Amino acid sequence: MTMQECYAALGGDYEEVVSRLRSERLIQKFVLKFLDDGSFDLLAASMAAQNREDAFRAAHTIKGMCQNLSFTALGKSAHDLTEALRNDWGADAPALYETVKADYARTAGAIRELKASLGL
Amino acid sequence: MAVKNKQKILIVDDSEMNRSILADMLGEEYDILEAEDGVQAVGILSKQYSELSLVLLDIVMPKLDGFGVLSAMNQNGWIVDVPVIMVSAESGSKQVERAYELGVTDFINRPFDALVVRRRVVNTILLYAKQKRLIGMVEDQIYETEQRSSLMIDILSHIVEFRNGESGLHILHVRTLTAMLLDLVAAKTDKYALTPRDISLISTASALHDVGKIAIDGAILNKPGRLTQEEFSVMKTHTTVGAEMLQAAVPGWMTDEEYELMKTHTTAGADMLAQIPVQHGEDLVKVAYEICRWHHERWDGRGYPDGLKGDEIPIAAQVVSLADVYDALTSPRVYKPAIPHEEALRMILDGQCGQFNPLLLTCFTENAEKIRTALEGDAAEEIQQRNLRSISEEALRGEGGAVSERTLRLLDYERMKYHFFAAMSEEIQFEYTVSPSMVTLSAYGSKMLGLEEIFMDPQHSEQLISIVGQKALDEIVTRQRETTPEAPDSSMELLVHLNGEARWFRVITRSVWTNDVPPRYTGLLGKAIDIHEEKMKLRELEQKASLDPLTGLLNRASAREQIENRLLTHQEGHFALAEIDIDDFKRVNDELGHMFGDRVLQELARRMKHAVRSSDICCRAGGEEFFLFLDYNTDIEHTVERIFKNLCFELEGRRITVSMGVALGERTGLSYDGLYRAADVALYAAKRGGKDRFCFYDDSMKDLTP
Repeated sequence: MTMQECYAALGGDYEEVVSRLRSERLIQKFVLKFLDDGSFDLLAASMAAQNREDAFRAAHTIKGMCQNLSFTALGKSAHDLTEALRNDWGADAPALYETVKADYARTAGAIRELKASLGL
Repeated sequence: MAVKNKQKILIVDDSEMNRSILADMLGEEYDILEAEDGVQAVGILSKQYSELSLVLLDIVMPKLDGFGVLSAMNQNGWIVDVPVIMVSAESGSKQVERAYELGVTDFINRPFDALVVRRRVVNTILLYAKQKRLIGMVEDQIYETEQRSSLMIDILSHIVEFRNGESGLHILHVRTLTAMLLDLVAAKTDKYALTPRDISLISTASALHDVGKIAIDGAILNKPGRLTQEEFSVMKTHTTVGAEMLQAAVPGWMTDEEYELMKTHTTAGADMLAQIPVQHGEDLVKVAYEICRWHHERWDGRGYPDGLKGDEIPIAAQVVSLADVYDALTSPRVYKPAIPHEEALRMILDGQCGQFNPLLLTCFTENAEKIRTALEGDAAEEIQQRNLRSISEEALRGEGGAVSERTLRLLDYERMKYHFFAAMSEEIQFEYTVSPSMVTLSAYGSKMLGLEEIFMDPQHSEQLISIVGQKALDEIVTRQRETTPEAPDSSMELLVHLNGEARWFRVITRSVWTNDVPPRYTGLLGKAIDIHEEKMKLRELEQKASLDPLTGLLNRASAREQIENRLLTHQEGHFALAEIDIDDFKRVNDELGHMFGDRVLQELARRMKHAVRSSDICCRAGGEEFFLFLDYNTDIEHTVERIFKNLCFELEGRRITVSMGVALGERTGLSYDGLYRAADVALYAAKRGGKDRFCFYDDSMKDLTP
C-alpha cells in the first residue's frame, strides 16, 4: 500500500499534506505515529463517563492532529464534536461521537494496513 | 551569546505528535525542549527561561492551559525575555485578542506549514535577539558611563582643585545643568536628534570643558582682579589647548610628531586623558573635543577661538557654554562674589555674557526654578540615575520593570545557588505563589512526598490533600492569612501520610509581600522538617509520666486532666465517676507481704480495664484507691453492679473485696470536683455500710463527711 492509497482509504488529502510538510519521509513517520496517540482512548473513556472537559480536550487534540496530517474526514468529525462539547454537553454529542468513532476506525485501519505493507 | 550554542526552543503541546511535527520542522538548528502540559512548561520556564529563545505554546491542554502559562510568564516577568508563539487550531478572535494582550508575539495556525513555521520562528527569534543585544548595549553604556564618570571626575577635580581655585562643584554643576538642558531641548525639538545616550555622553564630557586650563599660568588663572588684554588672550587659549589635549588622547587622531609636540606643554593632561578606556573612548573624546574647543563660542559669532555662528557650534558646546556661564555667575570666584539666581538669569537674557541659542534660553527660562533647585539639592546624583534609567527605557521601548542583563545574571546565580543548596540539604523545601496558584517543591521534597516538583492549585490538589489532610491544609491557609509583612513567619506541626505511614512534620513558612502600599501577599517560602522521631520520644515520655508504673493505669493527675477534658467537650453526656477502695488492704499487706499486695493491685487493675470499654478512664489514684470514669446511656445501676462483681476476686486463696462509691453527673453537675466529692462521700457511705458493696451518691448523703 502506498501513502497515496492509505490517504485515499482514510479520507485524507495527500497532496495537501505534502505541500505543507514537504517531506514524505516525515509524513510517513507521523502517520504511523498517529496509532500511538492515546487521545481517542481518552475520548472514548470520557464520553462513557460523560466527562465533558476531558472529552472536549481529547476531541480537540484529535482535530489538531488530523489538521496537521490532512486527515480530512476524521478531522471534520472531530471538529464537529469539539464544537458540540465546547461550552456544554451538546445534545448531538453522542451522535457526533459515533461518527468520530467510525472515522477513527477507518483511519486507524488504513494506517495499520500501511504499516503491515511496510513490513513494520 | 556564543555562536555555537544552539538556540533553545520550548514546545508545549499535549499531543506528542504535534510536538514531534514541530520539532522535526525546526530541525537540527535548534535545541528542542518539550512539555506536555502547562504545568511542565512553567516548571521548565522557571528553571531555564533565561536560556530559552522561544516558546511554541498550545492553548488547549490538561492541568494548565496556554493562557495559564502566559499568566505565569507575565507574573514572573519571563514574557519580557522569552517570546511566545501561540500554536493552535483555535481561531476565535476573542482568544487571539486575549493571547496578544498576554504578550504573545505571533500565531501559528494548524495545520502547520513547514515553511511558515520556520519563517515565523526565525523572525521572532531574530527580533528578540535584536532586543537582547540592545539590552546588552545599554548595559555596556551604563557600565561605560559609570566608568568614565568616576574616572574623569577624579581627574578633573584634581586639576581644578590644584590649578584653578574653583571648587570641584563647578564640574558637577555644569554636568548636571548640561544634562537637564539637553533633556529639555530633546523634549522640545527633534532638531538635534538627541538620544539618552547622547545626553549621557555630552554631560559626561562636559566635565572636560576647562581641561585646557591646565596649560595656563597659575598667576593668570587665579588673578583676583581683571585680566589685561594680553592675559586674556592667554586665558582664551585654554579652549584650543584643551581640544589639542583631547586629540592627543586618542592615538591615531594625530601624527606621532604632532603628539610629541603636544605633550611638551600639556604632558600631565595628556597622560591623564590617556587613562580613559580607549575602546569606548572615541565618541566621548570627539564630544569632549567639541566642548573644549567651542564652549566659549557665541550664537552671534562673537565668541572665541574660531568665531563660529549659530548651529555651526555643536549643540554639546552650546549647552555646556550656557551651563558654564550660569554656574560661573552664581558661584563665588576669586574676582567676584556669587550672584543670585534671578540676577544671573537676567544678565544672561540681557546678553551680558554673550548671545546664546534662543531655543536654549527658552528652555532655561521656562525651567529656571527647577534648574535652581536642582543645583542646590543633591541633584547631580539623581540626574545621573535618571539618565541611566532613561537609556534603558529607550532601548526597551518604554517597557517598565524590565531587568538588566546583569541583574538577570545575578538572579541566575542566586537561583543556581538556591537549587544547589536545596538539592544538598535533604530538606523538603517549597515555594508557593498566589498567582498563578502554584507550588514548587525542591527535588528532594518532590521525591520524599511523591508529588510533582511543580503543581497547580495546591488547595485542591487531591494528592496533597491525601498526604496532609484537608484540615491541615486549611489550617496552613488560615495561618498564612494571619501573617503580616512585619511578622511573616509561621510554624505548625502536622501529620503527613506517606506510603501508608503517618509521620509528624513541622512546617515553617515565611509569607512574601510586595513593596506596594498597602503590601500585597504574593506567596510563601517554606520547608517541612520530619520531627517524627523527636515527637514520638516526647510522646512516650509524656505517656510514661502519665501512667502509674505498677498497674499501667493512668495516674491521678493525668486522669483528672482527661476527665476534665471529656466533661468539657461532651457536655450533653451521661457520666459516672466511681471511686474504688480495696477493703482491708492494710491487713492484706501486713499478713501476706507487700509483694502480694502489689499483685492484688495489679490484678484489680487488670479486672478494671477488662470490665469497662476502652474509651472509659481507669486510674490508680494512689495506694489502694482507684477511679473509674464511665460514659453510659442505659441502665447505670446494672453496669455498676456488673463492674463491682468483677472487682471482687480471689487471689492465691485470699478473698479480696472492694467498696465503691459512685457519683452520677446528672445528680451532681458536670464538674470534676463535684463528681469526685460525691463519689468520695458515696464510698464513705459504702464503707460505713460494712464494705464489700457499692453505693450511689444521692442528696441524702450531703451531710456525710468522710
